[in-house]
Order: sequence, then C-alpha cells, then structure tokens
Amino acid sequence: MLRASAGGFGAVAAEWLMQREAMAAAKAPHFAPKAKSVIFLFMVGAPSSMDTFDPKPALKKFEGQPLPPSFGKVGGQFTDGSNPLLASPWEFKRYGKSGLPVSGLFPHLSECVDDICFVKSFYTESIVHAPAMYQVHTGRILMGWPSMGSWVTYGLGSESDNLPSYVVMPQPEGTPEGGTPCWGSGFLPAVHQGTLLRSGPSPILHLKPPAGVTPERQRRTLDLIQKMNAVDSAPGDNEMAARIASYELAFKMQTSAPEAVDISKEPEHIRKLYGIDRKTTYDFGMRCLLARRMVERGVRFVQLYSGGGPVSMQWDAHSHLKANHEKMCGLTDQPVAALLKDLKQRGLLDTTLVIWGSEFGRLPTSESGNGRDHNPHGYTMWFAGGGVKGGRSLGETDEFGLRGVGERYHMRDFHATILELLGMDQNKLWYLHNGRQEKLTDFGGTAIRGVFT
Amino acid sequence: MFDEIRKFVKKIPKGKVATYGQVAEAAGFPRGSRQVAWSLKVFDPKLPWQRVIGKAGAHRGKILLRGVSGVEQVQRLSAEGVAVNGIYVDMRRYGHIFLTLLLCSSMVGVEVDPKEEALVAKRRAYWAFQQPVRTRVPNGVHPVDFLEPAKQPALPARSLVRRVALDVTGLPPEPWMFTVGSYKDLVDRLLASPRYGERWGAKWLDIVRYADTNGFELDVEREQSWRYRDYVIRAFNGNKPYRDFVREQLAGDELYPGNAEALIATGFLRAGPRHVVGGNQDQEQNRQEDLIEMTHGVSTALLGMTMGCARCHNHKFDPILQTDYYRLQAVLAATQFREVQLADGDAMVRAERAKAEHMARLKPINDAVKELEKPYLEQFKREKRKELEPQFQAVLDLDKSTLNEEQKRMRKEAERQLNPTWDEVVALIPPDLKAKRTALRKQLHAIELDAPDEAEQAFAAYTVNEAAETHVLKVGDPKYKQQRVDAGLPLVLAPDLGNFSQEARGRRAKLANWIVSGTHPLTARVMVNRIWQFRMGRGIVATMNDFGTLGARPTNVKLLDWLATEFVGSGWDVKHIDRLILTSAAYRQQASQRRRMDADMLRDSILATSGMLNSKMYGRPVKTPIEPEVYDLIFMEGEPDNLWPLPKDRSEMYRRSVYLLNKRTVRLPLMANFDQPDTMSSCPDRSTSTSPLQSLSLTNSDFIQEQAKAFGARLTGDAVAKAYRLALFREPTAVERETAREFFKKGGTAEDFALAMLNRNDFIYIP
Repeated sequence: MLRASAGGFGAVAAEWLMQREAMAAAKAPHFAPKAKSVIFLFMVGAPSSMDTFDPKPALKKFEGQPLPPSFGKVGGQFTDGSNPLLASPWEFKRYGKSGLPVSGLFPHLSECVDDICFVKSFYTESIVHAPAMYQVHTGRILMGWPSMGSWVTYGLGSESDNLPSYVVMPQPEGTPEGGTPCWGSGFLPAVHQGTLLRSGPSPILHLKPPAGVTPERQRRTLDLIQKMNAVDSAPGDNEMAARIASYELAFKMQTSAPEAVDISKEPEHIRKLYGIDRKTTYDFGMRCLLARRMVERGVRFVQLYSGGGPVSMQWDAHSHLKANHEKMCGLTDQPVAALLKDLKQRGLLDTTLVIWGSEFGRLPTSESGNGRDHNPHGYTMWFAGGGVKGGRSLGETDEFGLRGVGERYHMRDFHATILELLGMDQNKLWYLHNGRQEKLTDFGGTAIRGVFT
Repeated sequence: MFDEIRKFVKKIPKGKVATYGQVAEAAGFPRGSRQVAWSLKVFDPKLPWQRVIGKAGAHRGKILLRGVSGVEQVQRLSAEGVAVNGIYVDMRRYGHIFLTLLLCSSMVGVEVDPKEEALVAKRRAYWAFQQPVRTRVPNGVHPVDFLEPAKQPALPARSLVRRVALDVTGLPPEPWMFTVGSYKDLVDRLLASPRYGERWGAKWLDIVRYADTNGFELDVEREQSWRYRDYVIRAFNGNKPYRDFVREQLAGDELYPGNAEALIATGFLRAGPRHVVGGNQDQEQNRQEDLIEMTHGVSTALLGMTMGCARCHNHKFDPILQTDYYRLQAVLAATQFREVQLADGDAMVRAERAKAEHMARLKPINDAVKELEKPYLEQFKREKRKELEPQFQAVLDLDKSTLNEEQKRMRKEAERQLNPTWDEVVALIPPDLKAKRTALRKQLHAIELDAPDEAEQAFAAYTVNEAAETHVLKVGDPKYKQQRVDAGLPLVLAPDLGNFSQEARGRRAKLANWIVSGTHPLTARVMVNRIWQFRMGRGIVATMNDFGTLGARPTNVKLLDWLATEFVGSGWDVKHIDRLILTSAAYRQQASQRRRMDADMLRDSILATSGMLNSKMYGRPVKTPIEPEVYDLIFMEGEPDNLWPLPKDRSEMYRRSVYLLNKRTVRLPLMANFDQPDTMSSCPDRSTSTSPLQSLSLTNSDFIQEQAKAFGARLTGDAVAKAYRLALFREPTAVERETAREFFKKGGTAEDFALAMLNRNDFIYIP
C-alpha cells in the first residue's frame, strides 16, 4: 500500500506510517459490507418526481383543476396548494426487464433501470432548500452537523494514501444553497471534511507551489522541513510523527492527484460514453468520469452536484418546468447513465453504491402557471450498485404525487440504509460531542431492507 | 463580593431602607445576609450603612444594632425622614425595592410534581451537584503546587517565556519578556497586556459559537454584532468579574437598563446561527429554533450541562428532565431579538445624511447600468413572450382593465414567467456593452467600499411585555404540544424550581442571578475548569461543556473545588485564577505531550514572525483574500461579482485572527484545516487533527508564501541565527547550523528557509 519514500524521511515517520492510526487509515466495518465506496449524485434545487420516475396519470385527467379538498392544506415555500394541478409535459414508458417507468427526460438512464432501485416515498422536514439539503446530507435541518461523507470516512477511514478520502465536485457555476456545510465535518475532526476536487493541473486547493517554484526547489525545502522536524520530535511521539508523514503524503498528493484527474489516457469510447465530446454534457460527464477514477483509486466518498449558483443553473423549476428539466436532464442524463455502465463493465458497480437524489421533490400543483413549488411530503431518490437490488421500485405516493402513502421513508431511513450497505451499524457509529453520543441517524432510522439484494 | 454588596447598599436612596436579606439577594448572594452585615463593617463615609436593617415579619423592618451604633442608626434614619417606631420601620412605606428584586417579585407558589422530584432526588448526590469543598492549604505553599504537584522537571527558562507568552497573548514573546526580573512579574505584565483579552476573547467566542453572519443559505453579515466581540475582549482585559460578565450577557438589558455595554453584552443570546429566509415560513418552528439556540448557549456555555437531550425526552444519563428543558425555554419565552440604537439624535442624523450622500453617489451609476440593460431586458421579455403557452400569451394581450379574477391570476403568472434571472439578460448584451457594464459595476463596487458606518447600535436581546406560553413538546416538535410549563430552574439544582413569577420581565435576570449566586455548584467549577484547560491543554474535567454523568470525572476534584471556591471568594476574578495557574509548578513543568498551536495562534504567530502583524484592536470584521475556489463556494443567486470586497487599507488584512470576518459558510482553508471550529455549536476545546491538507496550506497557500517572503526579507546578516531568534527565540545548535549550511549550499534561499522554519514542529507546537 504505502512505500516509504526516500529523502529526509525520518525513521519516526516510517514507523508511524506502518501503524497509520492517527490519520484516518482504513478501519474495519462493523459487519461484512456490500459496498466499499459511495458516489452521491445530488440534483440541486429538486427535480420533480412526477416528471421523472413517478408517473401520475391522474394529473393529466384533472389538469387545470384544484387538488380535491380531501387533500387538506398544502404548503409550499411560495404557493399554498390552491393553484391548479399541472400535468407532466413528458410521456412515461416502461423499460428493461423490470419494466419500470421512466419519463422521456432520460433516454440514456432508462437503459439502466434494471440496475436501479427507486424509492418513491421519501419525505423530509423542511420546504426550504438549505435546511432540507442539510437534512439529506447530515440528518438535521440545522447546519453544522457532520455530513454523510464525514461520518463514512470517520467510520471506515481511507483506502487511499495519496488522495483525500472524501471528495466533492460542485457545479462550476456555483455552490448549492446549503453551501459548504453540506460537506462539512461539523464537530468531527477537520480531517473528515469533504475536499473540493476539480479537473486540471491543480485539482486540490493549495496542491501546487506557486508558479516559478521548481519541483527541485520544493523538494529541497521539504527536505529541510523534514530534517528539522526529525530533530524536533521525540521518538515515540505519535503526533509529531504523524505531522512528518503528513508532509510526505502532501508531497505525493502533488503527483497522485493530478494523475487521478488526468483523463488524457482514457480511450475515445469512454470519453464518448460520458459525453465529454459534447458541449452540453462535457462538464457533468467529466465529473462523473472523475468520480469513477476516484473510486478506482480508493476514495471512499464522492459527492457530486448537478446545479448551483444562478437559478437558471438549478433544478428549481418554479416556472418553466419543461425548459428547466429538459436543460438539466440534457446536462446529466447521459453522464449518469455512463457512470453506471462504466462502473458495471469494470466490475466496480458491485462495490460502489451510487445514489441519485435531492433535497425534496416538487408539488403536483402549478406555480407561475408552468412551474412547480417545493414538495417535501413525498419524493423519489434512487440507489444502484453495491448491495442494491436493481430493477425494483419501493414506496409510493398518492394519485397526484403529493404525499408518500403506505411505507414512507424519512432521511434517517435513507442514512440507515446507506450505512448498512457500507457494513456499519448506525448505533455504533457515534461521536461524543457536548455530552451526547451523536449519530448520523440521531435517534435511529430503519434501513430500507427492500433495497438490498 | 463585599464590594458588590456595598455597591447595592449605596443604591438605597435617602428616606428608604432595605433588609440585609434584600440587599444580599439584589447583589446576587441570596442567603448572604450575614455577609451583608460584614460588608458594612468598614469605614466609608459614603456608605449609608444606616439604611440596612433587619427583617421583622412580612412588612416590618427592625433596627438590629445595639448600643451606640443602634442609637446612631435611629438618629440618622430619622434625619433622613424615615419614621422609626421604637426599633421598627414600616417597610411598606420606607422599604426600598431594588430593581433586580422588582424584576423577580410577585412570587407564586410553584408546585413540584412528586414524580419528577422522585426522578431526580436520588441523583442530587452526584458530585457535580454538591457544593465544592475547599481543602485547607498550608500557609506559604502555592495552593496549586500543594494540590497538583508537578510531575516533570521544570521547563528551561527561555522556553517557558515562549510558552507563557503564546498561552496568555496568543503571540510569540517580545524581546523584553526575556529580561523581566522574575517569572511572576512577567506573568503579571502579560496579564496586563491588551493581547490577553484578545486571546481570551477568541476562546470565549468559541464557547458561545460566535460568528459575524447568520449562517444558512443567505448567511448575511450581522450589522454591528461585532460590538459583542469587542465587549468580550474588553471584559477580559478589564478583568470584569465573571459574575458581572455572566449577568450582563444573559440579562444585561433587564439588570442594567440604559447601560449600552450591558445591552451589547446580550448579543450572547444571539451568537448562534439563525435561519433567515423568505417565502412561507413556519413561524412557530422558527421561534422554536431561536429558543433552542438560546437554551443551548446558556446551558453549555454557562452551566456546563448539556440539556439538548432533554428537548425530546428526560435525559437518559443525567437528572435533567424534559420539563427542565422547557422550563428553561420558558425563562426565555419573552426574549426577542432587536437592534437597539445607541447613538444620540445628532449622531443618527449625521449617519442618515452620510448614508444619503453615499446613495446619491451610487445612484447615477446604478441608473446607467439599468439604462444599459433596459433594451436587452425588453428583448428578453419579447422573445420569452413568444414562447409562452397560448393561454398565457392571450391573457397578456387582453386589456388590463377588463380582466376577471381568473384572468388576473393568470396574467400575474404570465408576467412572472417573463422575468429573467440576471445571467439571462447579461447573455444578450453584446461584448462591447458588456465590457462597459462590467466597468460601471466595478466603479459601483469601488464606491461601495466607502460606505459610511451606520449609527451605533447594539445587536441585542430584550424582553417583550407578554411571554408566550411554553409547552413541553413531544420529541421537540412544536406541532405536538404537551403540558404547559412555567419558567423554572432545573429541578435537580433547585428543589423549588427557583420560584419564578408569572411576569414576562425579569426571568432572565433571575436566572442570571441564580447562576452566579455563589452557591451554584456548577458555575464556578465550570469556569475555573475552562481556565485550567485553556492554560494546561486539558481540563480537570476533560469534558468542559459536560459536567454530567456522561462527561468525564474530575481528575483532581480537590484542585477543582479549591479553585472554584477561590474564584468565588476573589470576587470572580479570572486573572487571579489565571495567575495562580500560570505561576504553578504544574504549568511550568516540561510537557509530556506538546500542544499544537490552534489556527488563530498559528496565523497570528506567522504574522508576528514575518513582521507584518497589524496590532490594531476592535471594530468591524475584516476580510482577507480568499482563493478563487473558495470565492466560488459563496452561495449567490444574483450576480456574483462583489461578494468579497477587500479593505482599501491593505494593512487591515494582517490584523489578528479574532478580528477577521467569521462567516459561517465561508471558512478560510488554512484556518479550517487547522481545526478552527465551524461556529455552529459551542466548542469548548478545539480538536487537533493532522492531515496532508494542512501541510499543503502551510507550504503552498498565497498567505504563507507572502509571509515567508516577508520573513525571509528580515533575515539579514547571519540569516540562520536571525531566523532561529525570530521564530524560536533561541540560537541554532551546531547540527542545525550544519543542516542550514547544506541547504544554502544547495542553492536554498532565505525565503525558503523562512518557509521551512514556519512549518517545523518546534514552531507549530507550544514548548
């Protein structure tokens, strides 16, 4: 795994590296895991479930009429549910052996339904983007709690010595409304925070010395630091040794991180698969490809965002639902499908959990005539890959897609499901903070067993 | 304590009297009647001792002094117009009512649920709820040395100077510190340094999770909340008794009406994050979140108890009931947030005028931008209109005056559909005009840097006349209200629940007085434990915010209790406890495990070593340059072209870290990597993680590169010796000289040598 490199590298650090205790090295899960790593594809601003994976023919039938009074009072963030029902502008068809329905928005992803398990009755507690994003990322509607990726790396450590174990790739146009706390480590040590990753020669912040500093010069300075540190550190002082090692790892990251994001050696057909050859799909395709490359290199948790910054670059279709979703799906459909296919052909899908989701869904009633307001009462997210039973659909919403009915799933259940697939007992994964054993699932969720193979 | 009591005695006006007990309670020492009597036994011609009398029944006071003093007291009182009937005084007529007591008057009998009492009764025996017991320390011995003897040999003198300077001021030592005659004198001078309050201030701000912005998606900067930060720094520098510090922060508005400083102090109640966003809001849920934040602040920072668990259920491990949690919320039920003007009328007029002038400078440019955009905005709407569904086009074509209700609704919707986002308009503007627009906006932003200060105001809390009813909430959800509760103290600590009145006003005052009553078993222990942890790296109770059963046990309860009683006895004197700890052998011994600098200390030390530190104190928070990658993470739906304006005066960017803008969603990478807390919950002790990202920030960031350059430029003459003196305050060893010689021989530069010095463990770790 790790080779002690030459050059001012003290025996203290070498010894420490053998143990690799203090720095988030791989730890044993609580039980046999189904998946080793996670790619979470997050659609910022909330796609509409009844226009994507949860067809509601009744919307067509009752288009233009208000919701029947039996549905009670409905609150969005900007509407009160009194607006008329809005039919989906897209046709649904059934795909694959499983015959699961997907709307016309996803010509590529519809080819993958047999690998996907849809859960259609998630609900969440806030109608506002940021708190709802915090809930799906951290389990609370408040900001400042450790994000899922932080919990996972805290629980499982890192498989990679040369890359951060938790990387984040936001939309280049801007950050999701919840901002950095979506991938923050909260009260967990800073080492568990998500690290931003970009393509290009300096994919990680501060990775490279400023222009004009040659590698030789940098190595010389680093050697000096390490020589000084060897003098400064008493033998057996683990913390000092960890610090010495951290400089060596940082140095290696300078080669390994650019290598990890360098796709020049990816063959033509792979680039085509992800849509890197086309302007619309270039960005998200690139990030999906990088996600695969990260997972290949032992990165534990990859967080991807579609959407961010100006409203025109989010899934937040308060008006012009048709134009908005066609645009956002156009940017992401092919790349997401490519990611699933590519992981599968490499045998990586068996150990990689892919999640597609958002902070909430959208209302069946209209806003501004042709858009939809936020709907936290019932919406769809899906799982694929490690330990997931594909070609399946769980949970349902009412005839208009307003609320989850029957088995409804809270974010705690969402998190419990993910932890279980990763081989972790949600109740054993805790951190003592201000006198309380804090957990991702707070007072406990129920893993959605139907998702499992 | 006695000074405090005398202060209240002096508040009794001519012609009025108060009982010993009333004075004691007003001064914050309920049941301290005897101490009141003692406090009067001084010669102070300005002290109206005669106005303090004994209590004889519900409405009668009684002259207790005998002999000459008693006679003199009667004479003095009669001269002041108080009718003394024999030895009795009618309190209904002559009794002075202290404001603090007024606030807590009209007591009601509170009934304690016997079931609840049974739940907590047995667990009152837990050590943390017992009064501290003061161990007798022999004369002539340093009390800390007696209670916690040093285990290691003493640290060499020069290293000790560096350690104590870093700990007390957060900055490396200055040359004079090595020449001070005795260590004790050095400690005294450091405690008197204004840097002391900055260091302590930063620590306290961690504990109360202070930041300059609201948090959440909009994360707006809080206008003038920084006055609270300045208040905290001044409080520590002025050695404000901790008792007053707590009372001002928790109830400054109620206890010290009209006092601007005390009002600013209540910013404590608003220090936490707050979700402010538009659209349909669940007001009840939002209010509950404010209450949760306030309760969190009070219980963790001041009580050292985590009550959060009891929001949903009786605490599993501690005798904290769910009703206790909501009783505490009821104490805060009448507390609202408000910005209070502190400026006088003239200053406000001046500020208004300055603002109007500023806006007038902006207006023509704003207008020019709008004018430039106008045709493209119209073009957008025209084109968009063509794409609208026929029914919306049709309704836009109709005569506005003839519309029916349904058509009006549709027209509104159609108009909304025509609204572009900023980028959609900009996309239509041709390149040359776009450049002109960019230039105009730049001009705008340059003027915006000159925005005048608003009139002075306090980011404060205040009490409204009506307190909302408080209910126990099932699993903490305001939709599921259970039984109503009155304001009260945790049952385990206050068997009578504190006897709160139904009045909205005065609840926080009462809570504050109880917390610092001097007989509260936790307050003093919690604070001395913080001081100990701050200086020694580890608390006597290792869980500083949790003295409950899930928290750690004290490693030396005698030491903790001695310090706690000493603290109260000294008049809650923080510097006194600091001095006791810093002069102890335990502090002066060699470290078994060195402590890493925290992010603030590290950045400030680098600035001091490079010679670039700007020691200016106080004022508006300062922005320092951020990396483009970090800039991109600032959430903005509008045009993101001026989200992080840097100060005109570049030297501002080298201020101490405590003055940097602390924005909840924009963390400075260097600081965050070195475990700066995220200000979302109380942080009693920063963690110290180690990761390659720290090494990257500390070798490659623009900040460190700039600092290394500046430090390198200082290395004139014997560069190596100079670097060691400036960074480590010692001479290089022969081996180190040799290492340096080799480095320079291979072509190493002074700048790179400086960079290495700032990265080495001896620099980053406190000796």
